[in-house]
Amino acid sequence: MFNKASRLEKFKDAETVIGASIKVKGNFQGQGNIIIEGTLEGSLKTDSNIFVGDQAKITANIEASDVIVTGEVRGNIKAKNYLAIGDTAKIFGDVQYGEISVERGAIINGQLSNSNEDIKRTEKIKTEDKTNISSK
Amino acid sequence: MYVYVYDDFLNRGKYQKIINRLEIRLTDLGLNGKIIRLAGIKNIRGAIQNEIKLGAKTIIAVGNNQTVNKIIGAIIDTEIYGDFQKKTLLGVVPIGDDNSIAVSLGIKNIEEACQVLLARRLEKIDLGIINQHYFLNQISIQSLGTILEIDDYSLEIGARGELRIINLLSDPTTKVQSNPHDGYLDVYIKTKRNSETHLRAKKIKITNPDNKIIIDGVVEIETPAEVTVKRDQVNLIVGKDRIFE
Repeated sequence: MFNKASRLEKFKDAETVIGASIKVKGNFQGQGNIIIEGTLEGSLKTDSNIFVGDQAKITANIEASDVIVTGEVRGNIKAKNYLAIGDTAKIFGDVQYGEISVERGAIINGQLSNSNEDIKRTEKIKTEDKTNISSK
Repeated sequence: MYVYVYDDFLNRGKYQKIINRLEIRLTDLGLNGKIIRLAGIKNIRGAIQNEIKLGAKTIIAVGNNQTVNKIIGAIIDTEIYGDFQKKTLLGVVPIGDDNSIAVSLGIKNIEEACQVLLARRLEKIDLGIINQHYFLNQISIQSLGTILEIDDYSLEIGARGELRIINLLSDPTTKVQSNPHDGYLDVYIKTKRNSETHLRAKKIKITNPDNKIIIDGVVEIETPAEVTVKRDQVNLIVGKDRIFE
């Protein structure tokens, strides 16, 4: 599904890297791609991509374009574009994604929802509402 | 007009031959100028400001990182600073140890320094500020037990190693691509567990009750300390092999 080399390619020149010995507390809003190998408590957000490494322990809601998870996340994940969940990943929270891939062995304890489907459903409801209003 | 500021440690006998060689080379290249020896001066700030008032176009730090920082410290935040920024260039001739600033500017030795002064390639670069001190290159502190506060979050480092906050990059072995024109500082942490951390910030508060911060490898200060950066503050003469874009 995805090998380590290809999934890290995008993060080769990541602007922000939080190493394994580091504990971050608070609202972490990075610029560009972010790699987390350490511990983070609070919230994590970027307009670009986030890689959560094998040793990482995150207790936070995550929001980014692409999100790759191979560590532990306790919180909701919103991947606007693509979410990749590796075989060592443990996710305890709801997950929203554009596209998703999940490796065998991953643990996900929460609701999965496709944001594209949500948008379609919302648009459908809006269209139905308009039709109802005009027919009245 | 060139003004050469000789640091006080150059008074030692072992530097005499180097100084003689430098002065001969500068004369050969037509770069000779006025010499100020810091060893005999109590008011360094006054002496350097006076030279700028008298119309010094280029001030050259002859010595090490500390010499450069002494000159910058004598000028910044004074009434003469506006004139310095508009009219005066700062050059470096590295002599002795602790010359990472010169290396970052692409100057490794006296001969290169003379050629760089002759070529006059100019860069306006950011200046790091920590409490009442200034730094061009970087500050560093033991990483274990250090807490950094940045914007809405904090970083606690739980392993031994080195934490550096970089303005001008002097060590190409790190992954940090520091840009001294962007108004940001680069935080780089490498612990003995071989974990690397890097991120960028404009304002950082450092706390570590057990260790001191070292500024440009020469000056030590206690924490807590606040680090910021002023954009494009110093006009420097740099070599073509400078280690930044």
